[in-house]
Amino acid sequence: MSRDEVADDKGFEQFEKFLEAWSRRDFLKRAGAAGAYMAFLGGAVEFLDACAGTNNPTTSAAKKGGHVVEGNFSDIRTLNSMLSSDTASNQVIGLMFDGLLNYKKNGDLIPALAAELPKTSADGLTYTFKLRPNLKFSDGQPLTSDDVKFTYQLAYDPQYADVSSPRRGDLSKYIKSIDTPDPLTVVITTTQVFAPFLASHALYGILPKHVLGSLSAKDINTAPYNTAPTVTNGAFKFVSWEKGQQVTMARNDNYWAGPAYLDQWIYKVLPDSVAVTNQLKTGEIDIGPVDPGQFDAVKTVSTVAMSEFGVPTFTFYAYQLDPGKPAGPLFQDKAVRQALLYALDRQSIVTAVYFGHGQVANSVEPPISWAYKDKPQVVVGFDKAKAQSLLDGAGWTKGADGIRAKNGTKLKFTMITNAGNKQRESMLTVMQQAWHDIGVDATPSLIQFPQLVSQIVSIRTFDMFLVGFNWAADPDVSPLYHSRNAVPGGFNGADFKNDQADGLLDQALNTLDRTKRKQLYGQFQDLMSDLQPSPVILFNTGIYGVNTRVQGTDFGPFNQFTQRPWNHGVWVTDGK
Amino acid sequence: MLAKYVARRFFASIVVVLGVTLITLVLMDRTRGTYVPGIDLNPALRPEDIARLRADLGLDRPFYIWYITWIWGVLHGDFGRSMIDGSTVMSHILDRLPNTLELTGTAILIGVLISIPVGVIGALRHGSKTDHTMTVVSVAGFAVPQFWMGLILILIFSVTLEQHGLPWLPSSGAYSAVNGGDFIDRVEHLILPATVLSFFYTSTWSRFIRSSMLEVLSQDYIRTARAKGMSERRVVYLHGLRNALIPLVTLIGLELPGLVSGGLVVEVVFGWPGIGKLAFERALQYDYTTVMGVTFFATMLVIAGNLLADLLYGVLDPRIRFA
Amino acid sequence: MIGPSRVAELDMPGAAIEGSSTRPAQSYWNESWERLRANRIGIMAGALIVVFALIAVLAPVFSAVLTHYEPQTIDLSKTFSPPGSGHLLGSDELGRDTLTRLIWGARVTLGVALLTVAVSLTVGTAVGMMAGYYGGWFDDVLMRLVDTVLAIPAIFLFILMSILFKPTPVSLALIIASVGWGQVARLVRGEVLSVKQRDFILATRSIGARHLRLMARHLLPNVLPVLIVAASLGVGQIILIEAALDFLGLGIQPPTASWGNMLTNAESYFFHSVWLVYFPGVMIFVTVLASNVFGNAIRDAFDPRLK
Repeated sequence: MSRDEVADDKGFEQFEKFLEAWSRRDFLKRAGAAGAYMAFLGGAVEFLDACAGTNNPTTSAAKKGGHVVEGNFSDIRTLNSMLSSDTASNQVIGLMFDGLLNYKKNGDLIPALAAELPKTSADGLTYTFKLRPNLKFSDGQPLTSDDVKFTYQLAYDPQYADVSSPRRGDLSKYIKSIDTPDPLTVVITTTQVFAPFLASHALYGILPKHVLGSLSAKDINTAPYNTAPTVTNGAFKFVSWEKGQQVTMARNDNYWAGPAYLDQWIYKVLPDSVAVTNQLKTGEIDIGPVDPGQFDAVKTVSTVAMSEFGVPTFTFYAYQLDPGKPAGPLFQDKAVRQALLYALDRQSIVTAVYFGHGQVANSVEPPISWAYKDKPQVVVGFDKAKAQSLLDGAGWTKGADGIRAKNGTKLKFTMITNAGNKQRESMLTVMQQAWHDIGVDATPSLIQFPQLVSQIVSIRTFDMFLVGFNWAADPDVSPLYHSRNAVPGGFNGADFKNDQADGLLDQALNTLDRTKRKQLYGQFQDLMSDLQPSPVILFNTGIYGVNTRVQGTDFGPFNQFTQRPWNHGVWVTDGK
Repeated sequence: MLAKYVARRFFASIVVVLGVTLITLVLMDRTRGTYVPGIDLNPALRPEDIARLRADLGLDRPFYIWYITWIWGVLHGDFGRSMIDGSTVMSHILDRLPNTLELTGTAILIGVLISIPVGVIGALRHGSKTDHTMTVVSVAGFAVPQFWMGLILILIFSVTLEQHGLPWLPSSGAYSAVNGGDFIDRVEHLILPATVLSFFYTSTWSRFIRSSMLEVLSQDYIRTARAKGMSERRVVYLHGLRNALIPLVTLIGLELPGLVSGGLVVEVVFGWPGIGKLAFERALQYDYTTVMGVTFFATMLVIAGNLLADLLYGVLDPRIRFA
Repeated sequence: MIGPSRVAELDMPGAAIEGSSTRPAQSYWNESWERLRANRIGIMAGALIVVFALIAVLAPVFSAVLTHYEPQTIDLSKTFSPPGSGHLLGSDELGRDTLTRLIWGARVTLGVALLTVAVSLTVGTAVGMMAGYYGGWFDDVLMRLVDTVLAIPAIFLFILMSILFKPTPVSLALIIASVGWGQVARLVRGEVLSVKQRDFILATRSIGARHLRLMARHLLPNVLPVLIVAASLGVGQIILIEAALDFLGLGIQPPTASWGNMLTNAESYFFHSVWLVYFPGVMIFVTVLASNVFGNAIRDAFDPRLK
């Protein structure tokens, strides 16, 4: 959606959001959108409740009360939105805090605390947000533009340089100033045009200045608020956090979109995906992510409904491209890189390792992204003969031991991934065999996650690594593929450096118009499909099991973790 | 005499504590690579963010500086804050300790209550069928991998029972999400992990009691007591059991550090939010401060356990004098 | 299982044998052997271990002749085959044959256990004998070192060391032995201290025997019974520790098969493929059981008073 459309569409956007929150109601489908729209314009929630009651008494209408237990196998770390960098923490923060904007299912932006999508200046540098009137924190204090400014200051203002925020890199680079001409207006001026700015940075939960404003930067790092955020602005407020066990949250009656139905939302930490499955079956938890390997075990349970959708996550392997590293010379020739990919039957990997829950990738952009190009320049399928002939053509011929070699160097390398991730372990085993079949000697090696991260971001002595990456809604993939991120600490650990790719990525980052960006990312995907510096094996799917007593969840590609505009509309049929 | 003994042990243990924490730190520091605790492969992180977070955590300093700073803090009662989540290490330990005590305490209690009668009966009727059966069970208990037994129990009492619509036992966690404080609920969660853990204790201890009971009963003073016409019951319980319990006391004393690591596997299998699981998870994530804190705590327990065992030994066996 | 309980287990024979006076005579060994031979269950357990060891050593032969599969061969079209047709004990998530992997896993398990015992005994005996023999500050230093090693919660040591040294069977054995030697050292030192006081050592000393010679010729034979008992009782516990480390993801890494990591693997699928959970667990159980029974038999043989 381009900037111009945004202003015109704001009313409808708002309505759509409203509709999403309410679409669980069967009567809406019958009454039609028009009636609902009218109800919306009238602003009368009571009216809808009345409709539900009178129109169709047999339809289960949303009830107040009860609780939902959401299980996950990731422990959370902090409840401060400006300090967290992991998905699990963000997920719980998302239940208690709203940001200026939020995502729709498809990753498009919708207003949250902001009354509408921001107006962008003609030069693309300034965003003007209007807040909803009468926003309140859970303690009844007003939420104003000051709170918004304060929240962002923690990560960009030099005065707060001591705040250990993982967001400082981007925010201090792109934010020039934040002005608050009045309590409802926030004007963010950026230093340069940066296309993903809103999608990446307009979502952070807004913190209460009246609680944290008096603390020094250092004290904010250790504030009790980080583990017990007593004042929140989201659908739920904080009750307790028993570390390693659960976070309990209760309804926030001051929530801008109206009080949630549920009395409580509990986030429960479980040891692993098996426990999640087991507890979904027993009903100990109501909502939980389901491992592809256990999909069938959960699906057969009548009390659990499954929800599956594509997610912006892919699993890929990367060749060592730095010629200075031991394995670097092996992979300089793109024929070798392509040949190895041709030799992989990725569909059978998806079927066997992911039990069919995933999609073979042709591109480096996820299929659910607006930037996705289904048929890039080179589409690599499973073709063993082609793999063999590519290697032959590149001068890698089979020796007496059946292993290919060129100028005395054997096509032999080690593949690393993190121990404890079953799917990745299995994939390496499958790859080992597939490549062995074409005369390539690849050995799997599992290392602990910290060591894997060290390898990818700095040590970089690996031959090949296999990991997954979780993208945001914006199609920018420069963290993996831009040469600027090949510096120590960057994620371009494979040392992929290509001027054309850099140019396309930079240009796309500096372009706000979506049509033009799509074109640029299209070219980028073509380029990558030919070069294959780090082939994507598959795009993963997100699978959630939801107890049938829970209504109103609406998981989607971009609405599964932190961004859940629907969470205040969740209710339970039994009221417990 | 005793005070001097305790004082000497105390000074020796300072050396041990320093040694243990230093070894732990050096091992972590040597293996960490360049990993910054708490960092995932999150595309939103920039190289400069990672560098700054590393500096914020003090990881760009040499480990000995870090160690001195840490020791200084400990001397002032400050164990620092977790590198992963910023909470104080003490709060983590205090949060998990009750859970661990609940599990290990229950298991030890069950172990003692079962192993004493089993061991005594085994010794009194040694060679009998009962003895053989109990020996077989305890030898088996010693050979079952705890994690496997845990899995099997979950499979039977949680998964299978639930599938057949029968009452089942919870497989994970210390209590239900909703009725947290409920006593019955806690007991339900405790049954499976405590069974696995106490099975191990029972097997070990009943063997010990049996052996030491046998040994004691063959001693001269027992024979003398019998010869003097003391009733068999008095011989067994007053003289025999009292002396046979000495090794058990030692064992339970030695089990103190097990409060932290002994139940670790069980805690992991049953998702029990105890100290062992905390330490295990945090060691994998290189949360220096938390691991050091737990190590310190665990080492103190080992030392205290050894000391306590020795002292109790003296109380129970008057032949021992401290020098 | 990991941690101090093992202390107790290894301490047991020491406690039992302490006081069995004077240097063991030839007849002592003969009598012990006779007693061991008379213990039918013990001998059977020992035989079972020998059989397992043979299977482990001959794993390539077994997988070629008996199962016709390689442990690493995957077949994505035959995943999760139940026991029976084609796969005697079923197949796993990548269609690998469970029986073949169990056979190859035996290599890892038994190999690690034997190596661990060998290393712990060698290092522990050396340290314990020197500490006990020389005494004084030397003894103090060594024993504080032992205290330190034994006071570290073993699990941290295992976790950190298994990250430091990528766990292969050899490094895993060294990792486990890094704690095990401490127990042995304590045991041996105690034994040496008691033996040292006896007349014959004093006598040997007075006729001017060299230290090393004295230790090797006179002390070692005296601590040997303790060592044999400690070793035979330790094997089972080491197997359990190794399996637990594998299970926690800190031991032998897939795709190399070990009983412990096969169990971890199986855990994910136990809702539909239960046999994957049963077999490796049964193997560990039976092996540890046999080792313990055999260990007990040896202890009984060396110290008949407890029988």
